[in-house]
Amino acid sequence: MARLSGLQRDVLSLYRQCLRAVREKPSDTRSHFRDFARAEFHKNQGVGKKDFGTIEYLLRRGRRQLETYQDPGIRDLH
Amino acid sequence: MFRTALLRSARSAVRAAPRCQASIARPARAFAQPKQIIPAAYVQAVRSYASSAGLSQDEVQGRIMDLLKNFDKVQDASKLNGESHFHNDLGLDSLDTVEVVMAIEEEFSIEIPDKEADAIHSVKQAVEYILRQPDAH
Repeated sequence: MARLSGLQRDVLSLYRQCLRAVREKPSDTRSHFRDFARAEFHKNQGVGKKDFGTIEYLLRRGRRQLETYQDPGIRDLH
Repeated sequence: MFRTALLRSARSAVRAAPRCQASIARPARAFAQPKQIIPAAYVQAVRSYASSAGLSQDEVQGRIMDLLKNFDKVQDASKLNGESHFHNDLGLDSLDTVEVVMAIEEEFSIEIPDKEADAIHSVKQAVEYILRQPDAH
């Protein structure tokens, strides 16, 4: 695989953070969170590598979403 | 010194529990020091004291391959071997690779820092990384 740019590494790092956060969720609903995170990232896989504005916006949105969903009060997703 | 200790504890184990050896013995387990003439049953008793022995390369590789076999994104399982590259051979993208590395973390109960995780692109690299971790199990 080609060397990753800083922005690409940020995306992968956010994905990793999301998957780590999933582990904190109750075991019976964990797969819902995991599938959600997976789907969100794969949804925007088509965004061009050079489309920095969009990627940065999505990163910001993703981080905010992660913060929201990390709340222990959120125990399931539908 | 290790050999003396091994022999001594084997001997005391024999003396202490001559009866229960048969039940502890697991004959299927391969024994890595064929030169010793001690029957496998004694060695089994010793092994339980010396549990610091790390993971073998074959075991690590087997566990990682099992994990990949069960990963739904692997398109061509026939290409799965000890040398497989996640992207070139197994058709995984960078997000899938992150998932695989996270699954490996969970499997061996360790945490891989981002920088090192980004450098793992193949089964071989993953095996080498795990073997370098003393607390992987």
